[in-house]
Amino acid sequence: MTPPILTAAGLVKHFRAGGMGAKRKVVRAVDGVTFDLAPGETLGVVGESGCGKSTMARLVVQLLSPDTGTVKFQGRSVGADMSLTEFRRQVQMVFQDSYASLNPRMTMIDAIAFGPMVHGVSKRDAERKAGDLLERVGLEPNRFGARYPHELSGGQRQRVNIARALAFDPQVLVLDEAVSALDKSVEAQVLNLLMDLRRERGLSYVFISHDLNVVRHIADRVMVMYLGEIAEIGPTRSLYTAPRHPYTKALLAAMPSLDPDNRTEVAPLAGDPPNPIDPPPGCRFHTRCALAFGPCSLTKPATLVVGAGHLAACHLNARKGEAA
Amino acid sequence: MAVAATDINGLPTRDKSPSYWASVGKRFLKDKVAVGAGCVALTMVLMAVFAPWVAPADPLDGSMMDRLSPIGSEGYILGADELGRDMLSRLIYGGRLSLFMGVTPVLVAFFVGSAIGVTAGFAGGWVNTITMRVLDVFYAFPSVLLAIAISGALGAGIVNGLLSLTVVFIPPIARVAESVTTSVRKLEYIEAARASGASGLRIVKAHVLGNVLGPIFVYATSLISVSMILAAGLSFLGLGVSPPNAEWGLMLNTLRNAIYVQPWLAALPGVAIFITSISFNMLSDGLRSAMDVKA
Repeated sequence: MTPPILTAAGLVKHFRAGGMGAKRKVVRAVDGVTFDLAPGETLGVVGESGCGKSTMARLVVQLLSPDTGTVKFQGRSVGADMSLTEFRRQVQMVFQDSYASLNPRMTMIDAIAFGPMVHGVSKRDAERKAGDLLERVGLEPNRFGARYPHELSGGQRQRVNIARALAFDPQVLVLDEAVSALDKSVEAQVLNLLMDLRRERGLSYVFISHDLNVVRHIADRVMVMYLGEIAEIGPTRSLYTAPRHPYTKALLAAMPSLDPDNRTEVAPLAGDPPNPIDPPPGCRFHTRCALAFGPCSLTKPATLVVGAGHLAACHLNARKGEAA
Repeated sequence: MAVAATDINGLPTRDKSPSYWASVGKRFLKDKVAVGAGCVALTMVLMAVFAPWVAPADPLDGSMMDRLSPIGSEGYILGADELGRDMLSRLIYGGRLSLFMGVTPVLVAFFVGSAIGVTAGFAGGWVNTITMRVLDVFYAFPSVLLAIAISGALGAGIVNGLLSLTVVFIPPIARVAESVTTSVRKLEYIEAARASGASGLRIVKAHVLGNVLGPIFVYATSLISVSMILAAGLSFLGLGVSPPNAEWGLMLNTLRNAIYVQPWLAALPGVAIFITSISFNMLSDGLRSAMDVKA
């Protein structure tokens, strides 16, 4: 197997949420996330709102520093074997809100050229590159180059954001709900652009979304997060056809289907996820799990290999293992 | 895909898109009230600047015979003050000091306060907390009291008056700067800039200042009228400008005794303060609404 391009090892990030001393409260936004990203691979990340997807993304691109855990690029850990500046050039991010992620007082060319100029590229070269990138993402530079964000549509702005991230010639893009706010037709265009770019430039993506259909379409592997932890991770095909964690099953059952015979009658998951300030003991999902039994509320389930490259953290798999 | 047109350097030629400030100017010009107020303020400023050419008489040259001549009397369009000096000339010359005392402290406080506020807002965390709590100490005093206390402690004089007014205006401007910067700092384009590896200073210069200075400036212009009134108040109390210099607040003070003899005459410096400050206020309101459009 090729060595991973990006490795996240045991990422933990807790945020303080008031309280002093013994009463100090922390939000366990990300609580021990480990994964590898192979070169050219797309890793989909799914989960409900508030499960720590966005925090995880910001940890991976080093916008937040983890409490514990490391991020490695091509085996070199950031801050130790590799400078942050070099890492920034290799790993870039695209944000969800296409409008908020562009400076309202900057033209598109200036916005894209800013990054390369920070890394010492001359203004002229950076602007030329910005023009080329605009063209590549399907925006004619003479028409759009001197425009301001409010003069563009959401889809066009998101193309600019992608161009800005690409201006560093990165090898990894972290896309945090990058297409979620777009219309379906525009979303499809941007997804196609992302897939073309991936092929052309050999990019690797960490693709965060709450839309399981989109993730299935674009991802090679999928990671399911629940309350800051990984519930299940595996190849898209086996995870979608044979999920091994009740939470994944519930998410998949909640997916809208075009087939009228295949409609969900009962909501597969009731209620909201528990408060991440005070997560339930044992398996964090047991409070909402239809299949919960004895050990679920007592011990944290181990992450077990349930198939080729397919891991899940559920006591049910251990029990099956014993029975077999 | 169409081939991009390029200039000699191979750079893409660009369609000009109206800049932000051009559109602000256009919206401002549509606002009749603000334009009117702007014209009044501009007239006041021009009259003060060109006072020697505009004023009909010497503001310091009095005639004992004409003391307290009423408005409209011969040779004195707006009457004469308690020492027989031409009122109109004194008002025109007085505008020099009054406007200077109104604008200078605000301008200095704009730079100092913005620097403090933007730094605190962008740094966040404990830097922000400490800075803003220190400024709160100044906030605890009513501004008039603070200005009087400082210039009282420093002694009378124009420079001390300016200094005390500047100190009074730094905290409110810094607070506005801090809150605008804090809201901008959380936006994703700042995060994107941080992800590009740019230094804090570079991010502030390229992405923060352009988006925060406008609102801070508008707020500062609204303080000009306050500053003028405070300066007039200091002079009235004998702390700012000293006689025989013409300054609206000081004139109000010296004409105070004539209020039963010539009430209209005694009110004139107040009218000048009122017109100038209200036109500056309306000007800043117009600027605010012209800038506050999310297209």
